[in-house]
Amino acid sequence: MTQQSGAAFTRRAFIGIAGGVAASTLLAACSRTGGGGGSGSGGGGVIKFWNMPWGGTAFNPLDKQITLDYKPASGLPKTSYQTIQWANFTQTFSSAIASNTGPAVSSGGGTQAFQFEAQGKIAYADDLLDGWKSNGLYDDFLPGLVDTMKVDKGYAAVPYNLDMRVLWYNTDLLAKAGVQEPTDWQSFLDNCAALKKINVYGYGTSAGAGSYTGSHILVSWMIGNGGGLFDENQQPNCVTPENTEAMDFVLECVKKGYVDPRSSTYTSDNAQSQWKALSFGQGFDTGGLASNVGGAVGPKLKVGTPLKSPSGKQGMLYFPNNIMMYKNTPSQKGSEAFLTYYYKNMAPLWTKATGIGLPPLKSIAATPEFQKDPNNVRIINEWQPISKTWAAPGSNSLFLGVTTADGTPAMDTFAQSILGGKVTSKEALTTLQGALTDAIKQLKS
Amino acid sequence: MTTHTVAERLQQARRGVGVAGAGPRPRREPRPGRRRLSARTITLILFAGPSMILLLLINLYPLLYAVMQSLRNGNLLNLGPWVGFSNYLRVLTESSFWQGALFTLVFTITGVFGSWLVGLAFALLLRTRIPAGGLFKVLLLLPWVVPVVVSATSWNWLVATPQSPLPILAHALGLGNVLFLADPVLAKVTVCVFKVWISFPFMMMMMSSALASVDTNVYEAAKVDGATSWQSFRHITMPLVSRSTYVSWILMTIFCVNDFPTIFLLTGGGPVNATSSLVVMAYRTVFQNFQTGPGVAIALLMTLVLVIVSVLLYRQIRKVNIE
Repeated sequence: MTQQSGAAFTRRAFIGIAGGVAASTLLAACSRTGGGGGSGSGGGGVIKFWNMPWGGTAFNPLDKQITLDYKPASGLPKTSYQTIQWANFTQTFSSAIASNTGPAVSSGGGTQAFQFEAQGKIAYADDLLDGWKSNGLYDDFLPGLVDTMKVDKGYAAVPYNLDMRVLWYNTDLLAKAGVQEPTDWQSFLDNCAALKKINVYGYGTSAGAGSYTGSHILVSWMIGNGGGLFDENQQPNCVTPENTEAMDFVLECVKKGYVDPRSSTYTSDNAQSQWKALSFGQGFDTGGLASNVGGAVGPKLKVGTPLKSPSGKQGMLYFPNNIMMYKNTPSQKGSEAFLTYYYKNMAPLWTKATGIGLPPLKSIAATPEFQKDPNNVRIINEWQPISKTWAAPGSNSLFLGVTTADGTPAMDTFAQSILGGKVTSKEALTTLQGALTDAIKQLKS
Repeated sequence: MTTHTVAERLQQARRGVGVAGAGPRPRREPRPGRRRLSARTITLILFAGPSMILLLLINLYPLLYAVMQSLRNGNLLNLGPWVGFSNYLRVLTESSFWQGALFTLVFTITGVFGSWLVGLAFALLLRTRIPAGGLFKVLLLLPWVVPVVVSATSWNWLVATPQSPLPILAHALGLGNVLFLADPVLAKVTVCVFKVWISFPFMMMMMSSALASVDTNVYEAAKVDGATSWQSFRHITMPLVSRSTYVSWILMTIFCVNDFPTIFLLTGGGPVNATSSLVVMAYRTVFQNFQTGPGVAIALLMTLVLVIVSVLLYRQIRKVNIE
């Protein structure tokens, strides 16, 4: 017997409708997940621009304003803006791109473009850069910068901001130790010895949780000696005389007590606290160290000159962070038009001191606001020209294989082993060689 | 019908029958031949069906996808080519996996029993009348309530640099330059102590609720019979809280094995992988090496071990129930 209720529906009818609604909702959800394509990214014909918090709290609001001020030409899509936090950014991008809900244009990790390029998700920037040759933007990039983005099939991205590693020293502490700014490996070592006498470490660094500076500086010593991790065939080549000599030099610093024994577990904050506590008198860090340390010590911190190795070579590792375009866009022309607008109008991100890394354009570096900071000027004038990417010494252009070295467990282990001082340079380099070779094999299989 | 003994009444109560006797419950005889579902059963299935399907999709699909990932050589974007069990073989033949497994074991045993002992001690202390007991209880809960990110930052401040309080204290005690995080052995100890500190309030709550259910008359009776405090604890308290103890051990084992932030935020798994547990290793393999196959294989092996341990402990709980 069918029970009649006061409502118009019978129980059977109600169940039928409920089931139908549930099924259609489920199917709709499934079809949405499976769909995507161009419309997924576009968010209904909008160029989604995802940018990272590259600077302080002022950075993203100003960046958003620049982005949203973009007035596209007729027929081209507008732009939306999204800040992506650094926490778990790899997962954020990977899952969004895999589900076709990712951005059309984004910045991200320094090697992110090369990972997604290998997956066929990147729209090459060749046409964009060709266009920039005629409007002067192309020639405005700092020397050698654009080439770092070139892969076999084209340009994977466009350089955006430079994350530099440089030598810093505390002017007061060097004066107290009675030494001058170092110019080569030997004078660096002499300074360390003098600083040790006043209980100050001369090789300040950090390689603990989330701090990759320690490993970056180790590779910088190698590059500065004419070495590096990858050969011209883009294969790991770690156990070379240049690299061994460089790591022997670092191990000498460790054994002589010039490196804080806690460095292998220092976070970036810990390292900055040691600069503040006047425990570090000389060392290596990012280009923004002085402003990060701040207070009374910040103004005492000066960028040194690139050190010459015993063979007379110079070099440093740097990270040309970049902006990439994705194939999943409502309009490739729209993506390129937006980027052209963005690069022509992004100067305030530097001139208003938002805390972003160094500019990729000569015109921004030449502004009076930028020239006010002698540390930044020295970095651009002296360090950028001698800096190389992970791909050194084989090439300057980045490629997928460098992702096996950039912030990976293998590099962490290598850095902590060397800074712990309980290995020989050959042992550590051989272990690193094995780990990188294995990781590259995995990437290719 | 009358009921005769307490045991019988308890049996009836467990069966859901009224103590006074509910009388025989009418049971429908199964029909010979094919069983037909009643309209009520069909209605129930139809109501529960969508939820059941959703639950299956939400839980089963990711698990099956993870199994697929572990059998393929892919990355975060693509499943990659089929490689069978080679990811498992690769992981199981790597010394770093066994190093990680050993640390996970040490971390778990310390975390479970360390936090249980401290938690039980505080739970017993809180049973006694102490001044400002409520405030004391709230303060004791703080390590559990505060987000791990905050706790890890506090512990980093406590031990990481020469200006941190604990290295200063160690120096003052004549222990010299103690490297709490940079020395591999001390780093393991520090991480384990950190885990105990974070977890003991949970154990304290579990044990407090178990102790609250123990009838105080039993203790008075034991006292009259001449039992010492230790004998009361050993023969009354422990057996009576054993069920809650096993449950808390199961839960804490799962918490410890799967604990990623405690280790990762404090040491990142270093120095030189000394504090790299299996879950940290799985994370780094997937999200830093971009190798989903071996990373997920590690995670699934961990899950398998956890299931086995949980089943063993659960059996122990059932044994306690029967006794």
